[in-house]
Parts: sequence; C-alpha cells; structure tokens
Amino acid sequence: MSQEVDRRIYEHPILKFERRRPMYIFFEGKKIKAYENETVAAALYAAGVIQFSYSAKYHRPRGPFCMIGKCSQCLMRVNGIPHVRTCITPVEDGMVVEFEHAHDADLPTPKQPIHVEKKNLDYDVVIVGSGPAGLSAAIQAAKAGAKVAVLDQSPVLGGQLIKQTHKFFGTKESFAGTRGVEIAKMLVDEIKDYDENIDVYPSTQAIGYFRREKVLVAFQTKSLGKYTLLNLKGKSYVVATGAMERSLVFPGNDLPGVMGAGAAQTLMNVFGIRPAEEPLIIGAGNVGVIIAYQAAQAGIKVKAVIDILPKTAAYLVHAAKIRRMGIPILMRHTIQEAYGNGKVEGAVIYEVDDKFRKIPGSEKDIEVDGVWLAVGLTPSVEVLELMGAQLRFVPELGGYVPLRTPFLETTVSNVYVAGDASCIEEASTAMMEGKIAGASAALKIGFKNEELEKERKAAIKWLEEFRSSPHYSRIKQGLQKVLIQG
Amino acid sequence: MSETKERPRKEVEGQKTLEAGYVTVEDLKKAGNIPPDEIAERYAVPIIDCLEEIPCTPCHDVCPTGAIEMPTMNDRPRVKWEACTGCTLCAQACPGLAITIVNIPFAKKMFKRDDLALVSVPYEMLPIPKKGEKVLVYNRGHELLGEAEVFSVIKSPRFGTVLVNVVVPKKWAYEVKYIEVKR
Repeated sequence: MSQEVDRRIYEHPILKFERRRPMYIFFEGKKIKAYENETVAAALYAAGVIQFSYSAKYHRPRGPFCMIGKCSQCLMRVNGIPHVRTCITPVEDGMVVEFEHAHDADLPTPKQPIHVEKKNLDYDVVIVGSGPAGLSAAIQAAKAGAKVAVLDQSPVLGGQLIKQTHKFFGTKESFAGTRGVEIAKMLVDEIKDYDENIDVYPSTQAIGYFRREKVLVAFQTKSLGKYTLLNLKGKSYVVATGAMERSLVFPGNDLPGVMGAGAAQTLMNVFGIRPAEEPLIIGAGNVGVIIAYQAAQAGIKVKAVIDILPKTAAYLVHAAKIRRMGIPILMRHTIQEAYGNGKVEGAVIYEVDDKFRKIPGSEKDIEVDGVWLAVGLTPSVEVLELMGAQLRFVPELGGYVPLRTPFLETTVSNVYVAGDASCIEEASTAMMEGKIAGASAALKIGFKNEELEKERKAAIKWLEEFRSSPHYSRIKQGLQKVLIQG
Repeated sequence: MSETKERPRKEVEGQKTLEAGYVTVEDLKKAGNIPPDEIAERYAVPIIDCLEEIPCTPCHDVCPTGAIEMPTMNDRPRVKWEACTGCTLCAQACPGLAITIVNIPFAKKMFKRDDLALVSVPYEMLPIPKKGEKVLVYNRGHELLGEAEVFSVIKSPRFGTVLVNVVVPKKWAYEVKYIEVKR
C-alpha cells in the first residue's frame, strides 16, 4: 500500500468538505495523514486501507460494513486499547492503530491506563439517539419546560441526516425541498436555542438498564482512555436508536469493499472520501438509487444498480434521475458472488424468472471494486429490549419492533419510541414521530402546554396523510399489527 | 470463491422499461403531463416527470401563481398551463429533479425563430457549464440527442440546484432531460 493513495474528494457539486487541522496517525507502523474532524476508520479508508479486521475462525479479511458504530467489522486496537469502534472514534495526533485478532486465545488487554469517572444524573426526559427523531423529540420536550438529556454514540449530532445531500420529499412541515444536511443543521441550531433545558452527550453509548430503578447506564468516551459512566435516571424516555443496514447472503459477501450503501454514503458525504471507483449497488429501492446518484456527484462510476424484484420499489422520480444519467438499472437481477484477492475485484450477477429462479446462462461477470448493499434496514431495538418493551416481528416494518400506543408509548410505562426504531420509514416521518414522542414524554410526567398538544395533534394528522400514499400501504398495514391502546 | 485471473468481463446496460426507471414522452402524454401544441406555443410549460402518488409538495408550494394544483400531499401535480409564467422555481425546488421548463415563446422572441425552444434542465453535477458553451443533451434513457448551446446558467440560492438553460430544436423540447459537459 503506497502512502500516495488519497481517496478524498476535493470538489463536490453540493458539499464543501471542511477539513480541520491536519495530523498523522500510525497504522501498523505506517504514517497516515488525517484531519482533526475525521474518524480513525475514515482516515484509514482515505489512505487506501480497506482491511480492518479478521474473521474469528478462518481469519478472513474484513472491512467496515456500517460506518455508524453498529457492526463490529472496524474494531481495532488503538493506542493499546482493544475493541475500539474506529468508525466513530475521532482521530487524535499520533494515534497508534493496529489490527487485532479479537477472538484469539489471548484476550487483548489494554496497554494504557483507563480512567473511568462515574456520574449519577436526573432528568425529566432521557432521549437515546440524536437523529431526526431524537432531536425533534428533544425540542418538543424542552418546549414544555422539561429537563432533557440527548445521547448519541456518534461524536456528531444529526444521525443519518448528516449524509443526506438530496432535497427531501414531503411537505413544508417536514422541510421538503431542503437537503438532509441542512435539516440536520437547523435541528442542531434549534437544540442550541434550548441549551438551558437540553444537555447533549455525544460519543455516548447506552449499555444497560436497571428496570427496577429505572436507570439507564451509558458510557461516554471523552477521549480515548478517558470515559464517563453515566447513570441516567429519567422520568420518561424516548428511544430513537434508528436502524442497521442489512447484509445479503452470497459467496464473498465478507470481502473488504462489500459494505452497506449507507456506509458508502457516510464515507462520501460526511468525510468526502470515495469508498470505491466502480461499485455495484444491490437494491434499486430509494436508498440504492439515491446513493447511486450521490456516488455520481462524488465522481464515482456506478457500474449498475440491480434488484431481484420486477419493478423498482423506489419513487419513480429517483430511479429516473439515475436512469437518464446512464447508470444502468437492472431489475430481476441478483448477485451470485463477489470475488477478489483480499478485496472486491469483481462480481457475477444473473437474471431471475418470475419465481426468482436463476435463468441459466444469464450470468454476467463485471469488473467492480465495491459492492454496496441497499437491501433494507432492521430497526435497532436493543435498548428497548433491555428496557423490557414488548416486541413483535412485523416484516412490513423491517423486523422486530415495539408495540406502541397512538402517542408512541411502548408497553413499558413512560418509555416512548420514535423514528426507524419504530418502523423503517423516512427521515420526515421520523421527525414527526419524534415530535409526538417528545411531546408525550413531557406531557405524561406532568408538564402542561397547549401549544405542544396542538402540535402533537397536527403531527399525528400529518403522518396519517403521508402514509395514505400507495407507496406506504404496506407500512400502514404493518402498523396495525403493533398498535395498542394507551 | 473463484480466482480473479483472466475472466471475460462484461459491461451492462440498463433496461429500457418503466419498471427500471425509464420514462418516455409517451408515458407522460398518457398521463396528461405534456401540453397541447397550441399551449406550448403560447406559454412556458413545466414538464413534470411525476407519475406516482407520492407524499411530496415543494413544486406546488413554491409556485407563485398557483399553476400547480395538488389537493392533498399525495396527489400528482396538475398544471394549469395558462397560469405558468415560466419562473422555473418548481424546477429548482423539485427533490426528484423531475421538472424541466420548456419555453418556446421565449425562444421565438429572443432568437426570432420558431423552430427552437429554451429548455431549463436541473443539474447537480460537476463541472458547471458556462454561458455559450456547447453541451451534450440526452433524453430520459441517456440516449444522446445531440449538442446544444447553453443560453444561461442559474444557481438557485434557495435550493442549491443549478438550472442549465439550453437552446434546442423544438422537436427535442420534451425529450431533453439531462445534459453533460464535454470538457
């Protein structure tokens, strides 16, 4: 690997990448250039490092899959500390990054002392997740006068809005016509307006819950080696933990270069790094075609977007947008294998018939250096599970999701859900659900505010109208299966 | 897993079906999204490639003359042709970049010719073309129509989308949906 490799994007039609103070980190003894606002994984990727870890049994090379702190494929030893999620760990000058063989017989032990401070904190409303749902919930709860804590495992607020460069669909109420990155800024600014009411905890992971004491345990990384263990007691909670991208089963699906399409989007749009030069995208739903478009904006040549279904599930306008640019969309196609020596060097795709069986002889071997999976998302319900919320498997909503009242309260009293953790949908619906959950979490514990009740009513009505689109009929059916009365 | 060595690799082409995102002028005509000729001769017209009921209203919201009707957020946009002033705000706002503005009366007045049309094409790529530059113009299936001169370039301050106004033969007016800079 040559030191010359630099996958950073310097010109972009929509984004300006602000790279702060340059610095160096050391990866397996090699000096690598990084910038202050990059994470360790981003800096490595920019320098052409795509192999981050090894599988437990066969020691197969692995690269990052999610880039948002949910998968475990980017775990490395940093400054002697094992199991560091490099994708959400900001770089520090002179950092030493090494491979670890996580499941080897000798469990790794940290080579540097670790400082852990403990804090017990009381809040009216504790919100897990700072995406569109979490931030909207925090604003509504603060409006009512509640003292609010917002936790996020990422070092920056905004969840996945910070990588959405396209203008949003929806209506004025959901900021339609505005790009997701701009919406993130607007919400974060609004949070700052309520800084007397809202405490923000970035780089903080919820790790446990004491059901009897109703205390949420979270772990905040101040800097590598310095942590705070937070015991947060909330009178009510909003869980807005988002979702995780799905993988797909095919030979070679663990090769470095195979990643979630959202992971590629994080690299391209948050850090300004090209994850590949000629990728194949699996899944021609909204996520797949939008990310193909954004790849083109980043100067990447998408070889094809394929999907096993007969008709694209994306909004036609999104699919048409890449089609007219000459990015091939192939319906009734799926992947047979990804192959390559330690990284993706090609993929074989084939066509299927009406019963999704392979049409013999339809294989095409294409040269690609990345395979991006846009095959759906699974709600992240781990925190809700810890809290004891009753879950149900509803395929229409993306997997296991909590039962909830019309005000989004789960089966655990005073615990609310909002956003993709409740049902895989849109950022705009997540904001509306956040408003409902945030307002309800405050109203339930005694805060009174007529304006807030009105806004909650309007949000419920908006969601009803939004979901009456034929595009959302499945979701509407799914929601019937989890609705309970308060 | 197979070895990489020498493999007969292929390039793939996109399917030419609506199911794979390929919209045609015929589809738009059927949906009532293409105006009658006598209207297009007299007014600027937004050509909206929006054939589905999706919850999306920016074009309707920004229209200063109420020319784009949309009773509920899921209704498809319906254009009152006579009410359009050709201001291009809808083309700047559309999240799907689905709107081009075809302006035949402007081309008539500006170039004193009745075989031309000015088409405003939303564009979010690099490089941004310059006024007077020749660019390649494509239809909805990325089939090359030919070259066209850039009359002007507008960067929407509010929406960030660039509108490239190209002068094309009138027969391409509804076909043009994408441009590429040759540089």
